[in-house]
Amino acid sequence: MKKIRVFFAVLACKLARAAIRLLGRGGTDFPGRVALKICPDLLGQLAKTVTTVIVTGTNGKTTTSRMIEQAFIDSGISYFANKTGANLISGITAEFAVHSKLSGKCKYPWAVIESDEAAFKQVGKQVNPKAVVVTNVFRDQLDRYGEVTHTLNNIRIGLQGCKNAVVCLNADDSLSASLAEELPNEILFYGVNTPIYKTRVEEVSDAPYCIKCKSEYVYDYVTYGHLGGYRCPKCGYARPMPQVAVEEVLASDTEHSEVVISLDGKRYDANVNLPGGYNIYNAVSAMAAGKALGLDPAVVSKSLSQFACGFGRMEKFDIDGHSLRMILIKNPAGCNQVLNFLTDATEPFLFVACLNDRSFDGKDVSWIWDVDFERLTEMGDLLTGVYVSGVRADDMAARFKYAGVPTEKLRVIKDYSELLKACLAQDRPVFIMPTYTAMLDLRATVSKNYGFKNFWE
Amino acid sequence: MELKICHLFPDVLNLYGDRGNVTCMQKRLNWRGIDVSVEGISIGRKLRASDYDLFFIGGGQDFEQEVLLADLKGEKTAEIKAAIEDGKTFLCICGGYQMLGHYYKTWDGQQCDFTGALDLYTVGHKDRMIGNYMFTCEELGGVTVVGFENHSGKTYLGAGLKPIGKVLSGYGNNGEDGMEGARYKNVFCTYSHGCLLPKNPVLADHILKTALERKYGKAELAPLDDAIELAAHAYMEKRLSSQK
Repeated sequence: MKKIRVFFAVLACKLARAAIRLLGRGGTDFPGRVALKICPDLLGQLAKTVTTVIVTGTNGKTTTSRMIEQAFIDSGISYFANKTGANLISGITAEFAVHSKLSGKCKYPWAVIESDEAAFKQVGKQVNPKAVVVTNVFRDQLDRYGEVTHTLNNIRIGLQGCKNAVVCLNADDSLSASLAEELPNEILFYGVNTPIYKTRVEEVSDAPYCIKCKSEYVYDYVTYGHLGGYRCPKCGYARPMPQVAVEEVLASDTEHSEVVISLDGKRYDANVNLPGGYNIYNAVSAMAAGKALGLDPAVVSKSLSQFACGFGRMEKFDIDGHSLRMILIKNPAGCNQVLNFLTDATEPFLFVACLNDRSFDGKDVSWIWDVDFERLTEMGDLLTGVYVSGVRADDMAARFKYAGVPTEKLRVIKDYSELLKACLAQDRPVFIMPTYTAMLDLRATVSKNYGFKNFWE
Repeated sequence: MELKICHLFPDVLNLYGDRGNVTCMQKRLNWRGIDVSVEGISIGRKLRASDYDLFFIGGGQDFEQEVLLADLKGEKTAEIKAAIEDGKTFLCICGGYQMLGHYYKTWDGQQCDFTGALDLYTVGHKDRMIGNYMFTCEELGGVTVVGFENHSGKTYLGAGLKPIGKVLSGYGNNGEDGMEGARYKNVFCTYSHGCLLPKNPVLADHILKTALERKYGKAELAPLDDAIELAAHAYMEKRLSSQK
């Protein structure tokens, strides 16, 4: 009976996905929902024979997954991944189904799965992964996730279901590091043992008070946001010593970072081919995942210099000699980190922000006021202009006006074709920061007008 | 002219971009050549309310609320109450609004005592009231206020308090009586963040004018070019009107 259900669920999923592709769309959510209707525990059934690593947490899920993926490729491991960012239970189930035979047997022995934090409650238990990476917990779309403690709780419940997993936690994040104490699992802490930026944007800490006793933390150093060397003077809760750690940041610019990572008493040079302190964290978390899965650290550290970034994550387009970089933004912490490295720029550039407020973007756009856009204004002539677009373009324009961007530098262009034309009509490099659905729309416009691939291809 | 703004608990009550309201007030005064200073007073720091003309309190997370309430008790509460009675201007949003009331009762019956500066109380509810919303504001001559609300507390006003407006779309104080926010002397309370003032420039100037008049007796604010702000307002007003 079970086998028949699995058979029909997988079949329905494959058919639904094929039909959607024929319509020229990239939906991955609907086929999964169809399959789950037919067989509610389909994910658990399909994941049985697969060695899986799950990546969850607020920021860095996709990039970390792409890094681990590259490490798999370079280690000669046969795997699949949920690359399109479909990270809810329906999307993840669909990914397993389309990579399985109708019998329910997966065609690949390994999988790299990124999971939404709320979905992880279910996903963790059903998949029974070999390793879990928790990237960090930051304040995120509050209308969807609620407070940070709520997100933390979702991850905790998810981890409790992962009985056989090595759990990789960020030692520098007082919130997610605290998950270690209640878990019987093997824990692998990773972290950054040194400050990253010479100067940082002004940002509010998402966790100034001790998660255990609510006293104010003391910091030896801060890398960004609330991450760093924290300790509570009252109850003694403190940053655990990481087993996988960035010891030195040798160089960092708007293209890449060079770091030294220590692991099991050895030092590995890594050239991370994405800029920004948050990608240094993604890199060290991928090294931790590699250790948890038994990969060769020398191979993993090399992979960091050649992985392909996820779509919209610092993705670079060259159109008629113009350079466009697309950087997905979701929340103030992530956005502030992008500004941290943009302010290192030495060449003038054009800045574009596309703000949507659909459910996947976060319906509440108030977070843009928690981002230190004032830092861009301070760059003076290096910032040649600010174009805003998206459903909430006017709100974004108001934010930049109050951040001090002169109104003659500020343009509202709601139509994406017009926006791209305007970007190409000037000769400076362009950094585009879209929210999730704005990124999908914008990318579709780039594909249509300039012949780039669609994201599901 | 000069306004002294006190931002209460800026590091704890900072959940929904509320600090943008302070930036907005600062800029709108500066653009008119009016001096302004902003001081943050957080946990553990003494509050001398007589030093300031305008107070801002934003919303926060439940997690930090306990730390904050312990600090708020006693001296700070007395200072806030005195300043309110003295006609000082307050803008309080979401958690900051609830905190001026008597108490917050969670849906499972636990009671958290607040300042009691205003005659209102809040009862927690299982379902959150979330979304873009809009209300009228009589004292603005019928101009609407647009914002985003996200609260599980239902707030009820005592007899001596007026709401700041009537809900046109969304929930407001409790989703039951059509009221939004509270008004008392020069205190403005609302659930609206999102961020409130930049896209409601008429309300922003009304609050600034209230504070300046309290201090100088008379104040006229020179008009500004609000094309961007009004476009943001008009977009949401139109969207919420067409939903009805």
